[in-house]
Amino acid sequence: MTYLNKLNPGQRAKVVGYRHDSPIARRLTELGLIPGRTVTYLRNAPLQDPLEIQVGPSCLSLRHAEASLVAVEVEEPTSL
Amino acid sequence: MQDVGLKPPRSKTIHVAVCGNPNCGKTTIFNAITGLRQKVANYPGVTVEKTTGQFQLKDDPNIYTLIDIPGSYSLSAFSPDEYVAVQALLGELDKSAAPDLIVNIIDVTNIDRALYLLFQVMQIGKPVVVGLNMMDLADKRGLTIDIPRLEKELGGVPVIPLIGSRGKGIEELKAAIALQASVPHVPHRDFYHPLIGLTADKMIHQMQNGHVTRAEYLRVLFDINGPAEKAFIKEHGEKGKILLDDGRKSLIGEFGSLTIAETQSLTQRAAQVTEKSVHARRSTSRSRSEKIDKYLLHPVLGPIVLMLIMGFIFQSIFSWAEPIMNGIDSLFGALAGWVGSSMAEGPLQSLLVDGIIGGVGSVLIFLPQIIILFLFIAFLEDSGYMPRVAFLVDRAFSWCGLSGKSFIPLLSSFACAVPGIMATRVIEDRKLRIITILVAPLMTCSARLPVYAIMIAAFIPYTILLGFLNSHGVVLGMLYLLGLIVAVLVSLILKRTVLKTQRGTFMMEMPSYKVPTLQSILVRVFNRAKSFVLRAGTVILAITILIWALSYYPRAGDASTDYQSRIASIESTTSQQVAMIDAEISRLALSPEQQEASLFAGARFALVESPDELAAVRDELYLLRPDQLAAVELSHFRRTVELASLEQIATLENDRAGAHLRNSYLGRMGRTVEPLFAPLGWDWKITMATLASFPAREVIIATLGTIYNLGSGVDEGSSSLVQKMRDAKWEDGAKAGLPVFSPAVALSIMVFFALCCQCGATVVTIKQETGAWRYAIGVFIYMTVLAYLAAMLVYQLFSRIGW
Ligand SMILES: Nc1nc2c(ncn2[C@@H]2O[C@H](COP(=O)(O)OP(=O)(O)OP(=O)(O)O)[C@@H](O)[C@H]2O)c(=O)[nH]1
Ligand SMILES: [Mg+2]
Repeated sequence: MTYLNKLNPGQRAKVVGYRHDSPIARRLTELGLIPGRTVTYLRNAPLQDPLEIQVGPSCLSLRHAEASLVAVEVEEPTSL
Repeated sequence: MQDVGLKPPRSKTIHVAVCGNPNCGKTTIFNAITGLRQKVANYPGVTVEKTTGQFQLKDDPNIYTLIDIPGSYSLSAFSPDEYVAVQALLGELDKSAAPDLIVNIIDVTNIDRALYLLFQVMQIGKPVVVGLNMMDLADKRGLTIDIPRLEKELGGVPVIPLIGSRGKGIEELKAAIALQASVPHVPHRDFYHPLIGLTADKMIHQMQNGHVTRAEYLRVLFDINGPAEKAFIKEHGEKGKILLDDGRKSLIGEFGSLTIAETQSLTQRAAQVTEKSVHARRSTSRSRSEKIDKYLLHPVLGPIVLMLIMGFIFQSIFSWAEPIMNGIDSLFGALAGWVGSSMAEGPLQSLLVDGIIGGVGSVLIFLPQIIILFLFIAFLEDSGYMPRVAFLVDRAFSWCGLSGKSFIPLLSSFACAVPGIMATRVIEDRKLRIITILVAPLMTCSARLPVYAIMIAAFIPYTILLGFLNSHGVVLGMLYLLGLIVAVLVSLILKRTVLKTQRGTFMMEMPSYKVPTLQSILVRVFNRAKSFVLRAGTVILAITILIWALSYYPRAGDASTDYQSRIASIESTTSQQVAMIDAEISRLALSPEQQEASLFAGARFALVESPDELAAVRDELYLLRPDQLAAVELSHFRRTVELASLEQIATLENDRAGAHLRNSYLGRMGRTVEPLFAPLGWDWKITMATLASFPAREVIIATLGTIYNLGSGVDEGSSSLVQKMRDAKWEDGAKAGLPVFSPAVALSIMVFFALCCQCGATVVTIKQETGAWRYAIGVFIYMTVLAYLAAMLVYQLFSRIGW
């Protein structure tokens, strides 16, 4: 298990939970980062932060700080 | 009143709130139903304040008041705009306008997530109608929706398929609203895990207090530190608090955390409903947007493209607008000439020609620039590019005390700081939001654009740089940049001193790209153009009339009669001379044909331009008889006399007008305060025009237009303001006779306007949005001081190097 911010661009992973309960975690859930869903790490912004992910039909951008709350299980070996 | 058997049904007002996730098309549908033109664009957080509109149905006496609210992901508000949405939905914003019915708009391409909010909304206990929007995209994404099944899964809530942007399904939606509004009783709906319901029941039981409903208990349970919890504890005191804590503890024991308890039940239900009613033929893809983002969000290409787009906009504002502007300019010139010549001289004529056409007219000339700017802004906003820019700049912005989310409010401030400041409601962190509000008025709003445009057109030499950049566009771009750079510096200082911020959060959805609809662009541009013209016709007109009166009166005076007699004496001498010359000519006793021929030849001689022509005319003159030649000479002499006298009179008229103006109330005030602005290189006219434009920036142009019209005696309404500014000379003092405006002066004016807070509406909005006068006053003071100092610096610097 690792955290969403630790992935590499292009990697896919499954959300397993949150580091701890907080309003940010709640908001991320509401935005679709629901345990059991698959996320794709799309890219980093030019200055590294924020990052962009895709979950279900929507693309979200969040900062590394927020992404580090999301515990994930990598689905396939690093494609890069 | 008589009691008639069939009473006409009483008309009721039914409040209908339109809610849904951000960017799902709420405002599009609100506009389609009410016929209003609220702003629609392709990014989350366009609507930040509730707006209302009305509609009625045939054969239905009721009036339906529709309330458009900001988008939200759930009823747990995360940012101020969501808070407005939640308050409006729960009827806590304005009890008398609490919604009787809720229309929940759902973006069909993201139905799963939207159901989360819908479930919460259904638990409020009001009748609900679902509008399933973006049905056109469902096909493209390979989605088939079983609508009857969806309605069934939602416990009978009506679901109306819509294509908001094409107005499809709107009639059906209206009918569904009317039908649901007449339903007397709404069943209680609860989508939580059974254990949560049990917990609530246990609390109700222990409370033994009839007037709190189950739905309210459920909300209080999950509203940690929120308004519902506070109200509950306030009402029920210590006992309520203990009860609440017990209930929460048992849920935490069961689920791990309260958040999981709530979100898990709702997301699981949403997944079940989606699975049963939505059939995806292929995995939902956003391949087109993803391909575009490969370039637009590329670490190197992304920022370059952003800069190219910005540069292109500034270039176009000048090169596209110029021809249209010149057209409008000469139109106003002709109008002024016509009014001036067809009305008797006097205050009314002066008010029309000098005040209104010369003043307000010179502001209206800049309409094309405004329209071009808004064509671009509307295009960018509706394409979906804006959130991408926020993504690109977030890191840099957060370094200086802002956030990526500050970008859209700051860009809106390019239009006008007022909606820009309102748009900061999407920023969750209060301090970050306040910093953004405090620097938003530094963005170059469209009221500054005319000021820049006229100064640049008049005093910045037009050259082509690097083969494709015009210098006017470059200077304009730099002025926009100046506002931005100062904003960065100010926010850096604020961040380090009075408003120490954390980094805050940045969670934003990236909508798919879209080809902007012509209609939404035209609506935006039209709205902006309308408000520009309205502004010119109201605020600016009012101030201009005041300025005109102050600079027209007092009229009488010794100076005036003195000039009058001098002009009269010149006129009489001239007419005597002319009469003598005419007598000479008639003594030659030429036939009318001969006289005409000599006059014609004389006129041609006066107009000769090239050596060839001269030769031709000379040949013609050789053909004339000596007495005819004498006539030519005499009439030429008469022309010279007449011209000389006209010139003398014009100078006198100019002097008289100048003396009048100097002696006017405005002139006296101006000359008193002139020394204060002398370090900036300004004369009293610029000074007064600038001071007059504190309520609204464009007034400087109107005022200069009026002052220069009044300051010139002959009717010069037809020569453009730009020309008059170029011709303006210092009247006295050390610089007497030198041009008032130099590039250094133009730059100092522009820098002053770039940094100064000359906008009453902005100050009031800052007070409203921050809730404190001290921020509003603080902005006014820091910007004014900064503007003065910077303008002085610029003038002193550039005038030294001879600009
Ligand atoms: N393809 C398609 N686009 C639509 C439809 N309805 C609205 N849009 C577009 O969706 C975008 C968002 O529309 P808005 O009406 O501003 O959405 P909103 O829900 O009011 O957004 P916020 O106020 O930001 O919460 C705009 O670009 C609309 O043109 C539709 O039925 N089909
Ligand atoms: Mg909206």
